[in-house]
Amino acid sequence: MNTQWHLPGELIERYTTGHLEAVQVMSVETHLMGCARCREAVPYEREWLTAGWERIADAVDRPRPRPVARILRRCGVPEHVAVFLAATPALARGWLVAVTATVAAAVAVAHLVDSTGAAWTVHPLLFFLTVAPVLPLAGIALAYGPRVDPVHETQAATPMAGSRSLLLRALAVLVCAIVLTGLATPLLPGPPGLAAAWLLPALALTATTLALATRVAPPVSAAVLIVAWSCAVLTTGGLTGDGLVLFSPAAQILYGAATVLLIPLVHLRRARFDPGEPRWNRPSASKN
Amino acid sequence: MEPTVSVQELTKRFGRKVVLDGPTLRLGPGVTGLLGPNGAGKTTLLRILATTLAPDGGRIRALGLDPADRAQRTELRRRLGYLPQDPGFYPHFTVFELTEYVAILKELNGRHERHRQVRRVLAEVDLADRARTKVRRLSGGMRQRLALAQALLGDPGLLILDEPTVGLDPEQRMRFRALVSRLGESRTVLLSTHQTEDVAALCERVVVMKGGRAVFDGTPAGLAATATGRVWSSERSPAASELFWRTADGRYRTLGARPPGAVPAEPGVEDGYLLLLGGDARATA
Repeated sequence: MNTQWHLPGELIERYTTGHLEAVQVMSVETHLMGCARCREAVPYEREWLTAGWERIADAVDRPRPRPVARILRRCGVPEHVAVFLAATPALARGWLVAVTATVAAAVAVAHLVDSTGAAWTVHPLLFFLTVAPVLPLAGIALAYGPRVDPVHETQAATPMAGSRSLLLRALAVLVCAIVLTGLATPLLPGPPGLAAAWLLPALALTATTLALATRVAPPVSAAVLIVAWSCAVLTTGGLTGDGLVLFSPAAQILYGAATVLLIPLVHLRRARFDPGEPRWNRPSASKN
Repeated sequence: MEPTVSVQELTKRFGRKVVLDGPTLRLGPGVTGLLGPNGAGKTTLLRILATTLAPDGGRIRALGLDPADRAQRTELRRRLGYLPQDPGFYPHFTVFELTEYVAILKELNGRHERHRQVRRVLAEVDLADRARTKVRRLSGGMRQRLALAQALLGDPGLLILDEPTVGLDPEQRMRFRALVSRLGESRTVLLSTHQTEDVAALCERVVVMKGGRAVFDGTPAGLAATATGRVWSSERSPAASELFWRTADGRYRTLGARPPGAVPAEPGVEDGYLLLLGGDARATA
């Protein structure tokens, strides 16, 4: 390129004020690329140029959002929350596949028992109704804590530590489990009201898991409740002769009441989810 | 002038084991090294300062904030950077994704500012050209730099690094030291290490922990000076009860009482450190 020749001042002025034809602009810019002296002569706003380069760098580096983040964005979740939730270990493909497979198996069992009902003494929906409420618990157990989240220690030193992360992730897991299970509910045999009788137990068990998690780690509280719930369904069915006694309207009222009572309790005790909360700040501890 | 970090009679137990037994420290700007053997309480102290663990007793103020208070603890978390001893990663994330995730944890919610900071910290640790590489494909040294990049998000005034040079080869360690040294020019850096070379190379100040207490607090030169008159060089092996080792020139370096025929040797940071540890050093020698 001939760098002995330089852009006349009048041409630079027409270029900077946007009074050149497209072909002249291309010619000027080709010259500018090879001529430092003329580049110096072209006035520009440093902030504008920096911002332009940053936009280009951003477009090049920006990763494609993960599938979970894309779905959450479409549901109206703010971008940073969607990226945060997409990293939840429980929302990884493994848990979603496990929930889908479990729900599908429970639906299949219901149809199998229903079609050969005479040979069985259990209600076709019992397996589904027993399994569906504990699916969110398994997700919460895998959502938060040093044993399930490799980045937990880093996270614990950030403003998102403790209740903000745990409750946000628990809510995402709960919604996800409810949606997947809810999609399967119309496929079940039997009256729609009974087929949906898993929902309030699911909410009550989730609230109880979070309430217990203020004292023990979420995986422990979830495991305890999964075992307790399964034993309760089997035991009450055996004792009363009605396998669905825990899904009766009276029981549903109790689940609803438990949920309503436990949610404020979890809110009041949320500081206990924070690993940096001193013991002497905790309501039940004596002053140090 | 208020120190960046002030620790007073901090205590922490795990079950019956007393891990911190009342250390008191005041740290200002620059790089401070925390030296000590395994079980001395270094990691516990750093975790408490990083607010990932609550103390049983004592007082802390960091960046003018009291982490015992919930609101001040959250504010402190916005302003500190922490590299844990075992920084975990999501191996299927790219370098950019993982750093962005931690940026969100630090409440950098606006996408453009967040991405700008992610690019800045990756450039600072020389990982800009690896932004799209999966974490599982990184070497140990690169992962350590990635962990440091996360700690630098938000331009923290206090940087807490727990054994940042573990697993690095000599060249990586040298580069890491240069980076930490540069970071210490404009902020308070507290790092724990087993390596007395790290302390001698980059720390303006050193605190030696032993049995949950701070047994030395001063400059590296001061730590070396504590060994003056107690470091000896000899041709013959001293008694087995002494703390000694054979050096590259074939002579024996002994710490403590003068062995027969030995001549005084110039003390170093390691000599002062080992003499402070006393029985602990002998047990691990």
